[in-house]
Amino acid sequence: MRWILFAVLLVFVLPLGLSATAFAHGVELEYRTGVIIEIFAAYDTGEPMSGAEIRVFAPDDPSTPWLTGACDENGRFSFMPDLSLPGMWSVQVRHMGHGGWIHIPVGDNMVRAGGTGYTPLQLGLMAGLGVWGFIGTALFFWKRRGA
Amino acid sequence: MLKRILRRARPLASILAITMGAALIGGCPAPAETGTLQFHANGEGFIRQGFVSRDGWALTFDHVYITLGNIVAYQASPPYDAEKGGHVQAEVRINLPGTHIVDLAEGGEDALPILVGEAKDVPVGHYNAISWKVIKATEGPARGYSLVIIGKAEREGETISFTIRFEEERQYTGGEFIGEERKGILHEGGTADLEMTFHFDHLFGDGELPPEDELNVGAAGFEMFAALAEDGVVDIVVADLGTEDYRKLKGIFDHLAHVGEGHVYAESL
Repeated sequence: MRWILFAVLLVFVLPLGLSATAFAHGVELEYRTGVIIEIFAAYDTGEPMSGAEIRVFAPDDPSTPWLTGACDENGRFSFMPDLSLPGMWSVQVRHMGHGGWIHIPVGDNMVRAGGTGYTPLQLGLMAGLGVWGFIGTALFFWKRRGA
Repeated sequence: MLKRILRRARPLASILAITMGAALIGGCPAPAETGTLQFHANGEGFIRQGFVSRDGWALTFDHVYITLGNIVAYQASPPYDAEKGGHVQAEVRINLPGTHIVDLAEGGEDALPILVGEAKDVPVGHYNAISWKVIKATEGPARGYSLVIIGKAEREGETISFTIRFEEERQYTGGEFIGEERKGILHEGGTADLEMTFHFDHLFGDGELPPEDELNVGAAGFEMFAALAEDGVVDIVVADLGTEDYRKLKGIFDHLAHVGEGHVYAESL
């Protein structure tokens, strides 16, 4: 009997796509922020679900996978959800006749909806997303003012 | 005097009438969006097409009678975690009435899962959990047993006809179906389905997997049944087996049920 263990190891915001393009008389800086969700999938024996099939479902269309992929040899899979689709993102992991679901709340609004039984980890992550959303927005306008 | 009272009361009456009308309109519940929810049972290709046990017996199945009852679908929130077990938290739950004796071997090799029943005009939404009981049949060919497996086993020219009867009763509770398609999402006027899946490779093992695979290590195989054959026939009630064998089979019965490839929480009844 094999149970599936999931862990959302990290949900964090990075300044993704930060680029610096040098011209003769100036510098143009661009950036965008995003959220990376990293999933670790393993059997209860600790054996990683290497090569497990991944299906990610966005909250606006629970019937059609938003993204498909596979875990690496360490049972890890990362993706960047579309933050314009806040709500519960669901990830299905399957491998050799075994599988499981993990449900990950994404977006500011989900902080308020997160009190109905989500784990402290999930709540903490949701709060973190909210904070970083504000920071990202502030940085965006700061950049516009400086332009 | 009366005219004056009536004149003064007229605006009040109008307001009252409008308010009552609005209350009536607003108070009427909007027509609920509904659809049809189907319940299937599936013994998978293992039962329909047969398979080779962990100990090399080629198994085919004529009938696999299983008796299902107390089937309930849930719109669970939070999503049900079968690993943790316990009860499902849900505001919407749909009961499929009755007891259903299903032959998981019914139909051809490529037949669809067995339709156990359906509930019409149920609220739309995502039915992401299901619970059901496996109980003893009170009528029919499986009377007195919760699961009866009838088939043939062949190995190296030897053929055994077997009938294996279980009296075990369980309640199984599972979360969302795991498989190729996402099940249980019901839209207005549409049909969604849920599946009670039974993995018989957990009982007999799978000859296509290595012997050390965890599934094969935990499975009973067929040899323990073949050893009981008389004149090429095995007809047993597992409760009559020796203590160790019976204990092992009871444990396997806990893990027989799934939701697609997802595990369920089992409770003895």
